[in-house]
Amino acid sequence: MDLAFTPEEQAFREEIRAWVQANLPKEISHKVHNALRLTRDDLQGWAKILGKKGWLGFGWPKEFGGPGWTAVQKHLFEEECALAGAPRIVPFGPVMVAPVIMAFGNAEQQKRFLPGIASGEVWWSQGYSEPGSGSDLASVKTRAERVGDKYIVNGQKTWTTLGQHGDWMFNLVRTSTEGKPQTGISFLLLDMKSKGVTVRPIKLLDGECEVNEVFFDNVEVPAENLIGEENKGWTYAKHLLSHERTNIADVNRSKRELERLKRIAKTEGVWDDQRFRDQIALLEVDIVALEMLVLRVLSAEKSGKNSLDIAGLLKIKGSEIQQRYAELMMLAAGPFAMPFIEEAMEAGWQGNFPGGVTANAPLASTYFNLRKTTIYGGSNEVQRNIVAQTVLG
Amino acid sequence: MDFDFSDDQEQLRDAVRKWVDKGYTFERRRAAVAAGGFDRAAWNELAELGLTALTVPEAHDGMGQGAIDAMVVAEELGRGIVLEPIAQAFMASSVLSHYAPANVQSAWLPRVASGEALVVLAQQERKARYRLDVCEAKAAPAQDGYALTAIKSVVTAGDKADAFIVPAQLDGKTALFLVERTATGVTTQGYVTQDGSRAAEVKFTNAPAMLITTDGLAALELAVDTGIAATCAEAVGVMDKTVAITVEYMNQRKQFGVFIASFQALRHRVADMKMQLELARSMSYYASLKLGAPAAERRAAMARAKVQLGQSMRFVGQQAVQLHGGIGVTDEYIVSHYFKKLTQLEVAFGDTLHHLGEVSARMQDTAGVFA
Repeated sequence: MDLAFTPEEQAFREEIRAWVQANLPKEISHKVHNALRLTRDDLQGWAKILGKKGWLGFGWPKEFGGPGWTAVQKHLFEEECALAGAPRIVPFGPVMVAPVIMAFGNAEQQKRFLPGIASGEVWWSQGYSEPGSGSDLASVKTRAERVGDKYIVNGQKTWTTLGQHGDWMFNLVRTSTEGKPQTGISFLLLDMKSKGVTVRPIKLLDGECEVNEVFFDNVEVPAENLIGEENKGWTYAKHLLSHERTNIADVNRSKRELERLKRIAKTEGVWDDQRFRDQIALLEVDIVALEMLVLRVLSAEKSGKNSLDIAGLLKIKGSEIQQRYAELMMLAAGPFAMPFIEEAMEAGWQGNFPGGVTANAPLASTYFNLRKTTIYGGSNEVQRNIVAQTVLG
Repeated sequence: MDFDFSDDQEQLRDAVRKWVDKGYTFERRRAAVAAGGFDRAAWNELAELGLTALTVPEAHDGMGQGAIDAMVVAEELGRGIVLEPIAQAFMASSVLSHYAPANVQSAWLPRVASGEALVVLAQQERKARYRLDVCEAKAAPAQDGYALTAIKSVVTAGDKADAFIVPAQLDGKTALFLVERTATGVTTQGYVTQDGSRAAEVKFTNAPAMLITTDGLAALELAVDTGIAATCAEAVGVMDKTVAITVEYMNQRKQFGVFIASFQALRHRVADMKMQLELARSMSYYASLKLGAPAAERRAAMARAKVQLGQSMRFVGQQAVQLHGGIGVTDEYIVSHYFKKLTQLEVAFGDTLHHLGEVSARMQDTAGVFA
């Protein structure tokens, strides 16, 4: 047993750190470090910088043009990006659909779709949830009917994250109503510029439109956009969900935000309030414990000696920590987190924020926004069902 | 970064587990509690397994193994809620080998290793609570060494031990001494503690003492940190078994015509117990891996670990009793004994609030496993 990374891993970390330092635009990291609002250009700009270096698909194997990094290297890459203030990579293309295309798509599909994902040129969206299918994803109703060499798609997806920017969308669609709900689902790629696609942004409690409703009205999709076999989509989706086990904890970002929480607490004068400070200390212990849990998973993957089936635990704890730091930041500012001035949440605002500390402007918004973390990606209650299943049978 | 155990460590784990399963039954433990909470025969069996010698340097007839080996042993003994205090052997070995002069080392370390001498830390004073820098015990030079006067409370197996490691004031600062239990001026009043193990009030009146070190606070901190790491590991073993017992019960107990393991409210509680167990296991690894770090880093790590372990122990212990229902609060059924062990371990070497204060006072701008 050894806590330290190997000299090779340390050197790798240094290499990543130097590159990120040199290539991450300062105006973007400034926004991330201060929770200011990010535009599509910020997100895609960083994606393209990574894409040019060949690191947007940082989890990809070499045969598909990825760097072929180990689990530990991927972790170190994500950590260095997070600590430097890089925006989170929008995962739908490089992290979510690409592995499915690699595993189950045909050579033609791989050639057609992977380069645009790797470069960051094509923005992908996820078409999973529907109004009637949240945690119960297998109940999706959006129909895809095979007519000749096309599918005709009708129905509605919702909670489509950043779908307003989307070029392409991967969807779970119903191609059969026979048998168990899981068996009639197919995995279909859809050009969002197709006729009959309507995207309607949903304004959320933080004032932003981070998610969308997507309507399909007799949308024609070429049959060649079907991944794998018809009615096998559920299997592919499960593969997608099982991919990338540790980044769901997002512990690196939480480490960065803990630093920010401490800065806010000092500015707001609660750092020396023992009652408040102890709450930060509890969060610090939580974050160290979560990081150890993540490192254990990485070590298990590295050696292959023991498998640690604790993705559910990582999701639950990681999301609770994200909510907690946002909550403590807001509470640290106290009454000065009350003014909800949206312009002050944008970079470069020159106005006079009530109380004089503009850094307080986005705190409530972030707190509101992060309520999503215990709901998305399989709600924490669903995760508890999964964990309980592994323990109790 | 590697959290795999070596083959030797796996073998060590198997050997200790086998002894616990076969040699340390619940009935035997119950008899040991009734007889006062410390069974010298069981202690000798631990010694025969090589556990008392585990961390003693090879030069003093020990096995010279490290913190992870000690962790493995403590986990497995925890699984069997073994009463006999192996942590004290690790602590004595650590303090004596790092701080004692050569003659004290060669006189005592081989006896610690063989199990012949149970050497325990006698540190707790009424006013100190969990602070290590509060010490009213006094020592003064005397013929052939020193004379020590103190009242030390809740000393592990205090009336069964062979010698004590005792902090006391010498020339205005804390020094560490070794005092034999049978020395003149030493009286003990033994009793059973809440988890069924043994402790004693120990009174020293001008008792003859050997100086271990004048750098007493640093040595005491090392002893206590060694104890914290062992306690964390022991607690992981206790919790692991507690969860297993609870799961087994839930899969055979029926109410409303079904196994209670089928109720979602209870299943989610079990998921939360599993969470606390795995966070605790992670921080137990962290504690043992940091035991060899420089003092400030080591102390901070132990405080963080004990905060996590304390919270986990409280939750797992309480929920295990709750999920058992009425049978959980009986003396006859095993789970209440695991609960009581967890309750006591939370307090051992500083409770959750104490260590939270330590974490709070030591916080830096950045934090993480490597910061």
